[in-house]
Amino acid sequence: MHRYRFVLYRPIQLIPVLFGISVITFVLIRLIPGDPARVLLGTRATPTAIANIRAQYGLDEPLLTQYVYFVKNLFAGEMGRSILYKVDVVQLIGTRIEPTLALVAMGVVLSLLISVPFATISARRQGTLADHTVRMLSTAGIGFPSFWLGAMLIILFAVKLDWLPVSGYGGTFGEKLQHLVLPGLTIALSLSAILTRSLRAGMIAGLKSDIATAARARGMSEGVVFWRHVLPNALVPTVNLLAVNIGWLIGGTVVVESVFAVTGLGQLMARGIFTRDYMVVQGVALAFACATVLVNFLADIITVVLDPRIEL
Amino acid sequence: MMPLLDIQNLSVTFRDGEERRELLRDISVHLGKGEILGLVGESGSGKSLLCRAVIGLLPSSKLHVTGGRVLLNGQELTDTAAVRGRPIGMIFQNPTSHLDPVMTIGKQISEGLIRHRGLSRPEAGREGIALLDQVGFPDPAAAFVSYPHTFSGGMRQRAMIAIALACDPEILIADEPTTALDVTIQAQILQLLMDLRDRRGLSIILVTHDLGVVAQTCDRIAVMRNGQIVEVGEKRALLAHPHHPYTRQLIASHPSLSHASDEVPVHAHHKAPLFQVQDLRVEFASGGWLGGRKTFRALKDVSFDIWPGETVGIVGESGSGKSTLARAMLGLVPITAGEVLFEGQSLTKAPTATLKALRNHAAMVFQDPFNSLNPRMTIGQTIAEVLQSQGETPVEQIPARVDELLDMVGLERALAGRRPRSLSGGQCQRAGIARALAVNPRVILADECVAALDVTIQAQIVALFRKLAADHGLTLIFIAHDLAIVRNLCERVVVMHHGQIVEDGPSARVFAQPARAYTRALIAAIPDIDPDRPINGGINPETQQEYAT
Repeated sequence: MHRYRFVLYRPIQLIPVLFGISVITFVLIRLIPGDPARVLLGTRATPTAIANIRAQYGLDEPLLTQYVYFVKNLFAGEMGRSILYKVDVVQLIGTRIEPTLALVAMGVVLSLLISVPFATISARRQGTLADHTVRMLSTAGIGFPSFWLGAMLIILFAVKLDWLPVSGYGGTFGEKLQHLVLPGLTIALSLSAILTRSLRAGMIAGLKSDIATAARARGMSEGVVFWRHVLPNALVPTVNLLAVNIGWLIGGTVVVESVFAVTGLGQLMARGIFTRDYMVVQGVALAFACATVLVNFLADIITVVLDPRIEL
Repeated sequence: MMPLLDIQNLSVTFRDGEERRELLRDISVHLGKGEILGLVGESGSGKSLLCRAVIGLLPSSKLHVTGGRVLLNGQELTDTAAVRGRPIGMIFQNPTSHLDPVMTIGKQISEGLIRHRGLSRPEAGREGIALLDQVGFPDPAAAFVSYPHTFSGGMRQRAMIAIALACDPEILIADEPTTALDVTIQAQILQLLMDLRDRRGLSIILVTHDLGVVAQTCDRIAVMRNGQIVEVGEKRALLAHPHHPYTRQLIASHPSLSHASDEVPVHAHHKAPLFQVQDLRVEFASGGWLGGRKTFRALKDVSFDIWPGETVGIVGESGSGKSTLARAMLGLVPITAGEVLFEGQSLTKAPTATLKALRNHAAMVFQDPFNSLNPRMTIGQTIAEVLQSQGETPVEQIPARVDELLDMVGLERALAGRRPRSLSGGQCQRAGIARALAVNPRVILADECVAALDVTIQAQIVALFRKLAADHGLTLIFIAHDLAIVRNLCERVVVMHHGQIVEDGPSARVFAQPARAYTRALIAAIPDIDPDRPINGGINPETQQEYAT
């Protein structure tokens, strides 16, 4: 079981990573010109009122002192109060995390549902019309920006066909699922384009590999060769690619949630940036970073399970 | 008696648009029950293609069987897919790439047992463990649940044989089954194949480039060249009285035929050794900064001297540390402890000066002739680059010097304008040697530089080295796993095992009277072209030794 030992010591290695992330998120938002007190109070606020707000949120302290408070609070499980919402940031993230998680999960599931069959068809019928179509679509999928794609999906499925809700996030489970289809699809279309290409390449290499030749020479049918020998070997690199892309995707929810008005972390982040809500931005950024790190950690575990040769 | 497998006038053609090339022409050969047929030829002769054609697994869709037929038990074979696994099994050259790395050996064996013998999964488990026992796994139950990467190359080949046997074949096609293995392991695998023939009445087609391998194992030999069978016959008759000139050339090129030179070691004439290696230790670390750190000791306190003008062969099996030794001597690998002195200068104490001296006086020739040459540069450019960076040849004289170097290694001057891709392996290796000679080295280190070449080409390159060493007074350090070649070329041989030197002495003495048991086993395992010499010199293979690393 020594191959799984990294599960114990990897979290320790993450400490410096998280420290670095906290510094970067803290500094970056403060580099943007603008002042949260001014945004909050409007253009006609008196200098005293602005100074009061700044003092209230500790914004008048030197940067280093502010950072020390930020880290101290983190250890106590707090991330300060939102300037705009006047709520504790941890609570705020707690209420907004569910739609984002559900959206990412929906995107990943849909992208696998699209990419595995497409890659399979494409690889097993290499050079045919089906293969060329899949390759053309996946190239197109990478090219379309998600804000445009999202708008097009809304026009087609929500406005013209009226199959699905335009935007928002429902109350019941069924409603939520309905609301998540279009934003999930927006994510899945670009993600599956990348996954399909990787899987297709892995499968084609696998079908020509010595492993496949040896299996055929033992009299195994093409189906057995493909499902039992080619697919498991092709999945290993794709899992890692998926993990890297989930990292991107978590950041991408900022755009997708804004387009579809999903009340998740991405939308919270976008508002926070516009209103210079420092506490919210650094809190959500930290949450995003932790999620990305966690996803990669999970991907490592899956890789070790899938490929017995890998030791981490 | 009717042959079990009868190939009649088989032809295979490559077709791509208008282009047509006949890769196998009119092949007729047969295999009797319980017989071992050796199929011998150099790379590109079509021997693997022939095997693939029989079971309908041609490596490209542009290849087509364009003539002839195959009879199995007197019946014409129409559906090649139906005979795969049973009754025709196949094993391959490289067990590492042919075994599925993400599937246990047991599952890969069960696959065949379930499909071809209709066993249930528990039955397949029992039968699979019995098969692993038959092919020589010391702990078959543990091997059954293990993944291929946990085994050594020899055990992986045994696993592949067990997987083929699981399908219950009557005929086993073994395509270069021992080429990737060390000599002692090769002897064990060949012995296993012969045992299987005796125990199960298996008929075997053994494909190899090494006449020595077939001489000691096969009943009949078929020699292939350029897609044709040039000669077939009972092995003794064929080896004793070859008819075809190519067969004669193959036999003459076999390294086991020539014998060690009895030259007196030259260092009597010199005062100081060129290289002094003292208690050299090289360790490699693995593992991260929080994970368990491991060190692998590649060289354990190695000491020896090399004198100017010597030709020294360093031999050993894979993992013995012979390449690490060579790299450490050239300063290419960090030294953990000990000393390397080049002309009395210490590589550890005065690294800058010694490295400079080494770069000017020592050159290396690599194993892979294609990949050690830059594919985008012509041969002339490759050699000229060395001359330019060394800076000792005036620019206007460089083309003349390139021509001179090409003459030295026996390449036509016109080839200077060609790129590696359009040259043969032997030509590329000659170009690699010319590049090494460009710096006017006093010492050449050749790391397995003929391992990738065909026997006839090997013989030519060895002759070239011999001539260069004699004409230019070069010191030659020749690293090889092939003892037979070292015996032909080198006056002194250093035998390495597990990072240590186990024997060091004049070739004539070491090969005639090896002092150590390991050297004796290594020499005994050299495939000999003499059909009456038993495989592995009659020494019992130590199966345990190569078990799981």
